[in-house]
Amino acid sequence: MLMHTDRMGATAGSEAGRQGQPAVQLDGVTKRFGNSVALHEAWLKIQPGEFMTLLGPSGCGKTTLLNLVAGFLEADGGEIFIEGTLVTETPAHQREIGIVFQNYALFPHMSVANNIAYGLKTRGIDRKQIARRVDEALALVRLDGFGDRKPRQLSGGQQQRVALARALVIKPKVLLLDEPFSALDKNLRGSMQVELKQIQRELGVTTIFVTHDQGEALSMSDRIAVMSAGRIRQIAAPGDVYRRPADRFVASFVGNVNVLAGRLVERRGEVATVSVGDMRLEVPAAPLAKLAIGDDVDVFIRPEHLAVTSGRTPGSLCGTVTTQVFQGDHIDLYIDITGVARAPVLLRAPGIAALSSCPAGADVGLTVGSDDVVAFPPEAREP
Amino acid sequence: MIKRPFLGWFVSPAGLVALGLTAAMAAVFQFSLRVYIPGSLDVGGFTLQNFAAMLRPLYALAFWNTILLCFETAASTLILAYPLAYALVRTRSSAVRSFILIAAVTPLFLGEVVRTYSWMIVLGNNGFLNTLLVKLGFVERPVQMMFTAGGVIAALVHVTMPIMVIMLAAGLSHIDRNCEKAAESLGAGPIRVFLTITLPLSMPGIVAGFSTAFAWTFSAFATPQLIGGGRVSTVSTLIYQLGFSSFNFPFAASLSIIGLALSLAVIALLKQATRPLERLASAT
Ligand SMILES: Nc1ncnc2c1ncn2[C@@H]1O[C@H](COP(=O)(O)OP(=O)(O)OP(=O)(O)O)[C@@H](O)[C@H]1O
Ligand SMILES: [Mg+2]
Repeated sequence: MLMHTDRMGATAGSEAGRQGQPAVQLDGVTKRFGNSVALHEAWLKIQPGEFMTLLGPSGCGKTTLLNLVAGFLEADGGEIFIEGTLVTETPAHQREIGIVFQNYALFPHMSVANNIAYGLKTRGIDRKQIARRVDEALALVRLDGFGDRKPRQLSGGQQQRVALARALVIKPKVLLLDEPFSALDKNLRGSMQVELKQIQRELGVTTIFVTHDQGEALSMSDRIAVMSAGRIRQIAAPGDVYRRPADRFVASFVGNVNVLAGRLVERRGEVATVSVGDMRLEVPAAPLAKLAIGDDVDVFIRPEHLAVTSGRTPGSLCGTVTTQVFQGDHIDLYIDITGVARAPVLLRAPGIAALSSCPAGADVGLTVGSDDVVAFPPEAREP
Repeated sequence: MIKRPFLGWFVSPAGLVALGLTAAMAAVFQFSLRVYIPGSLDVGGFTLQNFAAMLRPLYALAFWNTILLCFETAASTLILAYPLAYALVRTRSSAVRSFILIAAVTPLFLGEVVRTYSWMIVLGNNGFLNTLLVKLGFVERPVQMMFTAGGVIAALVHVTMPIMVIMLAAGLSHIDRNCEKAAESLGAGPIRVFLTITLPLSMPGIVAGFSTAFAWTFSAFATPQLIGGGRVSTVSTLIYQLGFSSFNFPFAASLSIIGLALSLAVIALLKQATRPLERLASAT
């Protein structure tokens, strides 16, 4: 596969990188449908070769953003740049963008080879070269010899790969993928994720990937843009989105999280101290800037950052185990902490020791074994 | 098996109608095999003579003209209906959609005779169209439109328009818009997208609409009779003349049978010819 790298991998994206331009740039792009705002002032810079994921719940505007970049929708405000060139008014067929749809959208009346050749024919490339590049593209997605088939004679995963080859063969400036794996079963999805990531890295093609699956986003992306209700809430590397969510939406949407009621105790520069029951925790101070000492806060703690202590240690929380769920490599414990958490707190205990040591009904102590704890003002105060 | 207590009640009227139709067809078929006795309404014994007579140039020509007329009508309807159907499916404005739907479908609710008379008013030498052309100075004297094949086709297009629009629209609405978007992103401009994606993928609708328009035209009677005025002879006008002017029921019956067979054959041929396209397009 490495053979293809130098031939197909010379995307325009890497050239632009040398000039220091972002591959894609959105400056305050807004899109309205009637009275409803589908995308509200999106600001986004994607570097050449970067794998950027748009993550958010259904209806948050991910497809809308993608369609704006592709040129299928016209922005109501703001500007879009591709490799430093203003394209806000450029029609889709002149933007040189590769796109893969959720339903693949292969041309049913054309063979696989003709599907892939389509974008090369529109560019008026001579037939010999088309044939060569189609073969290369087929090899890239491991479908050598499938050129004469019709799309309907392929499995879902194979159709997916043809769609990818069709989009990549034109050496697009940007590759757009709109929930490409959501129609595949779980195993196939996993292997396609690995394959896509590998191809993307080999070719170094700038990619915008849309998903509402946070696991997919965390595992594949260089950076994630978390969206909700038409707004981009946070743009950061997967680890940072997980460990340092920018607001309570991001904290609860990405990964599991427990929300505990706490109180702001102290603020020292970048760090604030909050109390939860008898426990004191250090959290980033920035989200709490508007609060006064003593105000209520919501503290967000990941299940895997909680640990069970034997007996009562000072500065721990105490609760009662309500349910234990055996998950194979770990145990999920649901713990009732009256007065601190409205719902039972989820705790992820590694190994299977907890199965016997923490039966349902047992009183246990809880400590927090990580500094990746964040706190936000209670819901009503959120702007 | 699930018990369906009212099934019998629901089906029996339809069954009676079907029985009646079958009996009528059988009667026509047996008439077509009888000997014609001039000057009498009775028929003679069995013969194949009627079918042999069909090979005479006069009748062969009538068949050929009818098929030509059907093709011209279906093709004209297709060309006129396609943009309408396209706009109907693709427009975002509900006002435009309603307008097209009403304009395209109302002819369905006018009886054939009413519609034909209105075309006679439009096409006549002192009719609407000629008055307009003369007033505007395009022509000096009225153009002969009544009693011509062109006039008949114009009126027949009006008849087949609604079904054509509906079938094309159904076909167009099944096209995956993402295919067009994909083509666009691959560098195809609007015209190229239409010719390489939209048009081939709307083939099933085109075949269905064309065949239906063809069959309807083949069996149309009032329009070619009144607007053709005897100067445009089709199989159905011929059947009428033979059956109800000369009372040659056997020959009229055999003409009907052959006409039916021929129109079915043409439609089957049409389907066969466009089958590869259709199969490709419908397999999504
Ligand atoms: N053509 C349209 N006309 C009107 N409203 C639209 C249109 N397209 C999208 N919307 C609205 O804009 C909002 C964002 O839609 P969008 O398709 O971008 O969501 P999404 O994040 O892609 O969701 P999903 O994960 O379900 O695909 C939604 O509220 C949707 O109803
Ligand atoms: Mg979407």
